[in-house]
Amino acid sequence: MRLAWRPRLLWPVVLLFAAVGIRAQEEPGFDASQFEKKPFELDGYVQLKQEHFTLNPPGAFYKLNYYNQPQLEHLDRTTGTLQLAGKLRPGIGTFDFRTNSDLWRDQLGSDRNTVVYEAAYSARPNPGLTMEVGKRAMRWGKGYAWNPIGFVERPKDPNDPTLAREGYGMADADLIFSPGGDLRTIAFTPVVLPVSENLNSDFGASGHLNPAAKLYLLYRDTDIDFAWLGKGSRPERYGMDFSRNLVSNFEIHGEWARILNFQKPVTDATGQVTIDTRNTTNWLAGLRYLTESDTTYIAEYYRNGTGYSTAEFDQFYQLVDTAFATANAALVQKSLFLSQSGYGRPNPGQDYIYLRVQQKDALGIVYFQPAIFAIMNWQDHSYQVTPELQYTGINNLELRFRAFLLYGGKSTDFGEKQNSRKLEVYARYYF
Amino acid sequence: MKGLLGLMLCLVALPAAAIDGTQILQKVDRNLEPESYESYRQLTDIQPDGSKKVSVLYTMKKGRDKVVALFLAPASDKGRVTLRLGDNMWLYIPDVGRPIRITSLQSVTGSVFNNADILRIDYTAEYNVEAAEEQKDAYLLSLKAKTGEVAYDKLKMWVDKQVLLPTTIECYAASGLLLKTLHFSNIKDFGGGIKRPATLETDSPLYKGYKSVMQWSGLKKRDFADEIFTLNYLPRIQELRK
Repeated sequence: MRLAWRPRLLWPVVLLFAAVGIRAQEEPGFDASQFEKKPFELDGYVQLKQEHFTLNPPGAFYKLNYYNQPQLEHLDRTTGTLQLAGKLRPGIGTFDFRTNSDLWRDQLGSDRNTVVYEAAYSARPNPGLTMEVGKRAMRWGKGYAWNPIGFVERPKDPNDPTLAREGYGMADADLIFSPGGDLRTIAFTPVVLPVSENLNSDFGASGHLNPAAKLYLLYRDTDIDFAWLGKGSRPERYGMDFSRNLVSNFEIHGEWARILNFQKPVTDATGQVTIDTRNTTNWLAGLRYLTESDTTYIAEYYRNGTGYSTAEFDQFYQLVDTAFATANAALVQKSLFLSQSGYGRPNPGQDYIYLRVQQKDALGIVYFQPAIFAIMNWQDHSYQVTPELQYTGINNLELRFRAFLLYGGKSTDFGEKQNSRKLEVYARYYF
Repeated sequence: MKGLLGLMLCLVALPAAAIDGTQILQKVDRNLEPESYESYRQLTDIQPDGSKKVSVLYTMKKGRDKVVALFLAPASDKGRVTLRLGDNMWLYIPDVGRPIRITSLQSVTGSVFNNADILRIDYTAEYNVEAAEEQKDAYLLSLKAKTGEVAYDKLKMWVDKQVLLPTTIECYAASGLLLKTLHFSNIKDFGGGIKRPATLETDSPLYKGYKSVMQWSGLKKRDFADEIFTLNYLPRIQELRK
């Protein structure tokens, strides 16, 4: 839901510095009474982010995204964000919400929006049963960068997998059992995600209830999920995941999803589009390893059966080249439509590798965490490398710097992106 | 005759010594906390320059090996929940929205206390008593981890003979390296028959100049349903506070 909203331009800056000034006071003694549950709670963060983009004019997605726009080599964008999360406890249940408001400005102009990420009422008649209705961001799956069984959620951004995301309006429940023995936990989560013109319209075709369910088991120290989404706004799909520590500092996980009658629009170099309909499989295998010196390694391989092969991308890039070289407006419009319907989504290829290495308390500085992560399209060998520096040593303040460096030749996944470089720095203050 | 008497004394004395160490450890477990309880804890991490970072956790424990801890402060960590079921540990971050597996040697707070310290379960659930030695005012228990999954391979625990509560614990890696030392102090009556140290300080040769302090408040017996100690319940843990 996007609401028209017109706050003053500098409000994120003002809020950020005002909030930093309100430092939590540390009491010499510890009195737990100040932390008792309250009928209403409000918290969140303010964030100021500066980004410097080095644009990639020869890239297909630069041409498409900057069509009929001023042509630029660089773009500098300032973004202020206010994220609010609250809880209200009327009666036996709880109403909770999370909103995200952004205001940004760059050489092309400025804009703002407010999105309600979550707003749901939940009731718990007993510890084993929870029922809720409202907008909720479900997160299914065990993958760090991707989640093939994330059937009822918006896709995760592999560049920022821990970021809060907007949910969907739904009704869901949680039934939990603890039978004991080797099967320590059973939890069943049924979901109904209705789609109409006014509700969840971006999920898929309207006029469907979209039933889904997840069954979670903790069996002999292994997390196992089985997930299903019924045929409706999207094709029917089912799948499973698992996660387990082989030893205390070495975890493995995997996800597997089967999608029935998935329809993929595929174009040739002339703009002739065919719909490729088939059953397809998405899967992921990954690991997380922590060394004695507090270095964490995360590695994942993602097979995206719904994605495009290198040969299919070649045809699309040829179409874009032809459209712009000949200034053929109809072909440009067709290319734009195709980029929005699949070719332009994040990680649209078929095979990806993700690797992240992070070091806690590096250089002897507590709360300083440098990291580097890379995403590679395994088919065309184009890739992105992102060094990252993060410092959280000041109470409630998080500072982060990242440099996105993209490498790839003509007609490759990362070589045809809108940017070839991006520098990003933000300060985030939690209150 | 003397030989027979000596043999009988040995038969009586040897099992008694072995049982004593285990019994002392069992009493230490119950004197530190009831088997099922709730409590509030404040963790203060002090850096060499004197600057501090303070975290507050609401903790629930059931049985010997089920613990859950909810972060109430600082604001940057508020709503995070850690769950431990035996050797399994998970961290739930509200923004991420799903639990991820973590290890006992990590620290969710970034302090000298690691996850095993913050989500501690009964010592008898993780350790066997290898030796028990009686000293002037204390018993010295030498503990050995039952499995390789336990955070510390060996512990040396000094137990006050009068109140059967630990005063000092040294934590060692399998290599024999001293990882950290825990110092218990400030015995406080929490009511309900619970009288135990309200303060725990730790230092580590691996973090020279750094110190972490854990303080307890509101520790009391409370029974919880098993369903609370599950991944699906973590987003709702804060609703259990009264």
